[in-house]
Amino acid sequence: MELQPIYIQILALAIFAIGLMVAISRRNLFFVLMGIELALNAVNLSFIGFAKTLPADMSVAGQIVPLFAIAVAAAEACVGFAMVIMLFRKKESIDADNYSNMKG
Amino acid sequence: MLALIYFIVLAVIALGAAACVLLSRHPLYGALSLIVSMVSLAGIYGLIGSPFLGVVQIMVYAGAIMMLVTFVIMVLNGARDSKTPMFDKVSLFVIPAVLVLAGLVGFALVRAPLAFDATTLRGSVALTSRSLFDVALTGPGYFMLFEVLGLLLLSAMVAAVLLAKKRLGSVVSENTEDKH
Amino acid sequence: MTNLPLWLIPLFPLIATILLGTIAVTSSPSKKGPAEGIIGALAVMFPAVSFAVVVVLAYSMPEAGIRETLCNWIDIPMFKADIGFLFDGLSRIMLLFVTGIGTLITLYSVGYMHGDRGFARFFAYINLFLFSMIVLVLSDSLLLTFLGWEGVGLCSYLLIGFWNHDINNCKAANKAFIVNRVGDIGFILGMLCLVTIGGAGILNYDALNQFIQMIVSGNHVDIVVPALSVAGVLFFIGCTGKSAQIPLLTWLPDAMAGPTPVSALIHAATMVTSGVYLLARLGSMFVLLPVVLDIITVVGMLTAFWAAMAGLFQNDIKKVLAYSTISQLGYMFMAAGVCAFDASIFHVFTHAFFKAALFLGAGAVIHALAGEQDMRKMGGMIKKTPVTACVMIFAFLAIIGFPGFAGFWSKDLILEKLYVSGPMGPYFYGVGLLTAVITAIYMGRLIILTFFGEYRGSKESEEHIHEAPAAMLLPMGVLAFGAVFSGYLWADSMGITFFSDTLAPVVGSAQAYNALNHIHGHVNPMVFAGLGTLAAVLGMFIAYKIYGKARVPAAKGSSAPQGFKATWTFFFDSVHKYCGIIPVSVLAWICDVVVDKILQAIQWTLGAIATILGDGAASFQVRKVRLQVAFSIAGVAALVIVVLLTGGIV
Repeated sequence: MELQPIYIQILALAIFAIGLMVAISRRNLFFVLMGIELALNAVNLSFIGFAKTLPADMSVAGQIVPLFAIAVAAAEACVGFAMVIMLFRKKESIDADNYSNMKG
Repeated sequence: MLALIYFIVLAVIALGAAACVLLSRHPLYGALSLIVSMVSLAGIYGLIGSPFLGVVQIMVYAGAIMMLVTFVIMVLNGARDSKTPMFDKVSLFVIPAVLVLAGLVGFALVRAPLAFDATTLRGSVALTSRSLFDVALTGPGYFMLFEVLGLLLLSAMVAAVLLAKKRLGSVVSENTEDKH
Repeated sequence: MTNLPLWLIPLFPLIATILLGTIAVTSSPSKKGPAEGIIGALAVMFPAVSFAVVVVLAYSMPEAGIRETLCNWIDIPMFKADIGFLFDGLSRIMLLFVTGIGTLITLYSVGYMHGDRGFARFFAYINLFLFSMIVLVLSDSLLLTFLGWEGVGLCSYLLIGFWNHDINNCKAANKAFIVNRVGDIGFILGMLCLVTIGGAGILNYDALNQFIQMIVSGNHVDIVVPALSVAGVLFFIGCTGKSAQIPLLTWLPDAMAGPTPVSALIHAATMVTSGVYLLARLGSMFVLLPVVLDIITVVGMLTAFWAAMAGLFQNDIKKVLAYSTISQLGYMFMAAGVCAFDASIFHVFTHAFFKAALFLGAGAVIHALAGEQDMRKMGGMIKKTPVTACVMIFAFLAIIGFPGFAGFWSKDLILEKLYVSGPMGPYFYGVGLLTAVITAIYMGRLIILTFFGEYRGSKESEEHIHEAPAAMLLPMGVLAFGAVFSGYLWADSMGITFFSDTLAPVVGSAQAYNALNHIHGHVNPMVFAGLGTLAAVLGMFIAYKIYGKARVPAAKGSSAPQGFKATWTFFFDSVHKYCGIIPVSVLAWICDVVVDKILQAIQWTLGAIATILGDGAASFQVRKVRLQVAFSIAGVAALVIVVLLTGGIV
């Protein structure tokens, strides 16, 4: 028994599914954002797992795209939590279902 | 064989922590479980030959971003909405849908032939940085993306400051002015 | 060999344009305009410096010319164009008189435009015109020439409509602009045609000449002639637009609505000759195309004759000169049509002097009479404005080809080349000679009505007649000098061929090629000179007989011609109306009423469907974002199922 690439992909898929569930089914805004972070992590894992299946010099993209994804996630978390703070200040609530002003 | 054992241990920790995020009541517990999950994922990165990304994961994700999350949770006292239910009728629809999707994608993945390359180490600092900062015209051009990301982070910072600061004309600041 | 860079020449007018434009814009809110002294000095100085650069370069130019690539302009796959300049014998001649006469007329305008509210704006336009004209003449590729071509068209539009408070001026400007666009389509299609034949590089003049040489030396002439003929006809259409030939000539008489210096500079001396310049520039191509050359000759002949007749019928002094310009341009096209490119450029050169002098003289007359342009209300001006009259009479002698004056040398040269051009030559020569007689008649009429006899205007206006200021007289004097002596640069019968020698490196090989393929009869040039002189004297005599003694009918109403004269004058206007404007109007009406309505109906139908669908979809919307995201995930799952079932994964 050796470590197979498919195990890593299955793990990434499982974590992605959990992240998606957290992001959608929980109503707390913090959990929504954390679910998104979890899903992003799963995608990074998938990238690195696939990079391992290629020769070292061809797997550069698999190494660098997660790096960028982490940076983008940092920006996303920064703005996302600032918005949470703003919303909280407005309605004293972090229940996602309370914010439905955009319904057409 | 040893790698598989390490992988199983780390994967179990990561999945368990992720499940904790899904099931925990208080956001703070969720954030802490998330950190555990991320650290064990960093271990997996190192295991499959990308130690640099593992370190970045711990430093940026588990360190910086999650610190921001816990900080905000503590500032806003997120436990206040303990009245809202964890799951509701929507969840009944969401969880099966996600599971079906995951199952389908998993099915597709299992059918795809995949095999590891023999090289053990690939994501070393030297290799990554060499291709990242390759400014030659024929190169991959990642450095351009890198610059753009710097701009993105800067603008995100400005946006965050603008969003989160107290408005000058808002009710709160007017009230404080009245008191003076 | 000095190493002055070529881009200095267009640079100075460009700087002046920017400076004067800034001044004009910034001073527009103020009641009083900026100081005219400074504006005038600026406006004259920059073209003068440009002229000086041209003179220096002209003296030091090597035989083969100076080529200079300034920078890259367009660089896309399949197409590459540089901004490059070419200073050779042809562009030297053109630049010398463009910048030289341009400077003189700018100086004249300082006096003429005195007191006008748009003083700075006028000179900004004039300098922009000079810049465009220099680019047109100096460029080394058709593409950059086209840029200048469009630039001079724009300036012509701006300057015709300069006094834009009068709706008629604006209409005339629009007419000039639109008719020129029709010609420009020919130019663009001609360029496209050339690119199709020889690739994008062929737009460069040197590359084009090499291409032609390759064809000739490889005996492939018969293969490419059909395609090249199409290109040649299209370029000729472009030239008819800019140089006011049949059928695109109606705009030039209307263009006289602009200030008189503009008419002198743009619509007589420089811009309208750019068509002739283009023909000479592409001479090596045109000599391969006998059909196109025949078209050019016939069109030029008809134009020369028709415009000369129309010139007889005009009462407006500037309109007479406008038709005479068209007629002279017809001569130039005739010369180009028989491959005498050097003769046609020579006529451009001499014509620039005497026509500019005539226009400036007419401007001085109009200035003296406070805006009166109807010749029937003039007369006897020689006593009041002797200098202007002298200038006008010298230029008059030049245009009718009186022996010794500039027009004599150039016009007789053209007529001679016409005669020896081939079997049809004598007929062309006959029409040319007839036109020369008519030219002498209508120009004689102009001179007699304006300067001789009794003054026919009102008494009080007679007292205000005064000689023009020095700033106007000086350029007129210089131009009159040119009108008398510029012909001696190529006095064939005196054995001086300086002018044709300078042009030989550019058009010499083309003309030599033509000479190989046509049998020339040789006739003693003195015969032509004698006949030309006879024509001029005969015309003058007829003019004196008809207009010298007869009472001129008192002017009533407008100066526009009446009756059959109007039919003749506006013949091509009505041709345009029935062949161009009315079909287009009908088409526009059809588009407006039918196509537009149908399209609107389709739009409304689509819009209504979208609205209904959108309303229906909106009713599915719930107040829960999460639920909607969940829906979308279910949708993704469904897509994955479809991909799996249809074999997306192998």
